[in-house]
Amino acid sequence: MIDSRATATQLGAQGGGPGGMRVRASARRAWPSGVFQALLWLASGLLIAFIVLPLVRLAATSSPSSLINAASEAEVRDAIVLSLQDAAITAAIATLLGVPLAYLLARRRIPAPGLVQAIVDLPLAVPHTVAGIALLFLLGRTGWVGAPAGHLGVSFYGSQWGIVAAMLFVSAPFAVNSARVAFEAIDPNLERAARSLGATRAHTFRRVTLPLGARGVLTGAVLVYARSIAEFGAVVIIAYYPVTAPVEIYNLFLRSGLAAASAASVLLLIVALATFLVLRTLASGRWLWIADRDPR
Amino acid sequence: MTLAESGLAIQGVRARAGSFELGPIDLDVGCDRVLAILGPSGAGKTMLLETIAGFRAAMTGSIFLGDRELGEIPPEDRAIGFVFQDAALFPHLSVRDNVAFALRARGEHHYGQRVDTLLARFEIAHLAERAPRSLSGGERQRVALARALAAQPELLLLDEPLSALDRPTRDDLRSVLQELLGGLGIPAIHVTHDRDEALSIGDRVAVVVAGQVRQLARPHEIVANPADETCARLLGWSELGVGNLDQGRLALGDLVLPVHDRLNGWNGPVCAFYRPEAVLLGADATGISEGARFQAVIDRVLPTIPLTRVALVGRPGMAALLLPRDLGRLDIRTGATVEVVLPSDSLRVFRLTGA
Repeated sequence: MIDSRATATQLGAQGGGPGGMRVRASARRAWPSGVFQALLWLASGLLIAFIVLPLVRLAATSSPSSLINAASEAEVRDAIVLSLQDAAITAAIATLLGVPLAYLLARRRIPAPGLVQAIVDLPLAVPHTVAGIALLFLLGRTGWVGAPAGHLGVSFYGSQWGIVAAMLFVSAPFAVNSARVAFEAIDPNLERAARSLGATRAHTFRRVTLPLGARGVLTGAVLVYARSIAEFGAVVIIAYYPVTAPVEIYNLFLRSGLAAASAASVLLLIVALATFLVLRTLASGRWLWIADRDPR
Repeated sequence: MTLAESGLAIQGVRARAGSFELGPIDLDVGCDRVLAILGPSGAGKTMLLETIAGFRAAMTGSIFLGDRELGEIPPEDRAIGFVFQDAALFPHLSVRDNVAFALRARGEHHYGQRVDTLLARFEIAHLAERAPRSLSGGERQRVALARALAAQPELLLLDEPLSALDRPTRDDLRSVLQELLGGLGIPAIHVTHDRDEALSIGDRVAVVVAGQVRQLARPHEIVANPADETCARLLGWSELGVGNLDQGRLALGDLVLPVHDRLNGWNGPVCAFYRPEAVLLGADATGISEGARFQAVIDRVLPTIPLTRVALVGRPGMAALLLPRDLGRLDIRTGATVEVVLPSDSLRVFRLTGA
């Protein structure tokens, strides 16, 4: 290969004209043309298989009857409903609080935007059990927030509020970042145009920025929802009860072993994936199997 | 004082973006007047418009529109229409909704008639229900103009609205703009880096370079008498080179040229510019007594449009711009020797900076 390249370069140097250029360009092709393509597909296939295979294997363990059995157990059913419910509440809160922050970050209208962005990303780096313990210090019965809230009759420890708090902490970055990226993609001149046409900041946000960033905002909400259903580590520390679906599956696994946990696992997987796919489709405005019109 | 009397007045305005500083800028634009701002990229033209529109805060100075000082007024209350280079149409709204945006923002409900009138005026009524992304560049700018005018602005700012368009569309829209701006009854500022555009659209032309107004004059004055070398280049003067000015005679290369412009009796090194379309060749040069006369060999004839460029061999090198139909009449061929006259009034000299 080295030999052929050297020859090609010499040829190119001698040729000088457009013909010589062509020889040189082909010499740069270090691999046979198919190899790079094959490597791309191989690496991608390995990763996809690694994600899909465990789930397929899990699904294969359960029969329809075992799923019906699992669904008929009140504890399992309640846990799944609780997870879906609290994840939805979390998605709503994360979006309401995350969108304003995302906008300020996108338009750099916040002091030290780099620092603020780092803070937003912090939950991604904090181990979830650590997050649970930190939240417990803050929201527990003697915590800075937990104590005054307790006087008002709101308890986070062992309550739905605690579950939502844990879910919010670990999933908030998805809401902020997804919306921020969407807002950043909007040409600032569109907002300026709106202002010059007599629209206030608020009107501009409502009529221009938000509609144009809606996809990103919705995608963020769906990611928060999905991440919240999946949350175990932080939830189990701040609110072991009431039992969310991941906690219930963990309990089943400890109590009755792998086989008992698998049916409930598959049930949660089906419910979570189904809602995720439906919401994701709504948020992105296209079905899974239809490619982006313009690939980026 | 009413708007009709005063128009726009900018006094000592300065603004900054990073290390770039704009100003101090002093300009005024009367009602029914169009100021064209001509300058190279990065001169601060857009920044000036953004400051006037309120998108950017001025560090010092004041901007008056009619009897209103715009200082603390937010963009939405300034009544300034802004047309962007890329039109900046709202992609999620139809053409009609784009044009109606200002009226809706004001809370008006019965705007259908007015929007229709604007759509008809800019010949875009047939596009009313289309999405902006399906429009051509020229159509987009028509929508942008209609949208800006729907707000009934008291000042119109146009930020290179024709720059992104292809040649025929640009010429087409330029005449739309000329007709429009003349009859609006409000001041307008048209920013461009295109000389022809500035000269054909502006009642007056301001040359802005490196954040400063270098020259402000009527189009024919600014072309005839550029204030400095940069203005000369922007206004179509070609550089002849550096020579020595002594008692109204310029020694440059092999030539000695009589100069009208005596720089108040200053003698010394100067940079000289000439108008290539004023250079006379062959038969046209005979019988002309005013100016410098010499012979030169034709190096190349470039078929540029609308004027053909004839490059001459010599020290200094020069070029003449001729109508294509004159090439045959004057017997212009590569390699031929021709009589050349450079009229004195098409020669300008500037004291060499630093000299």
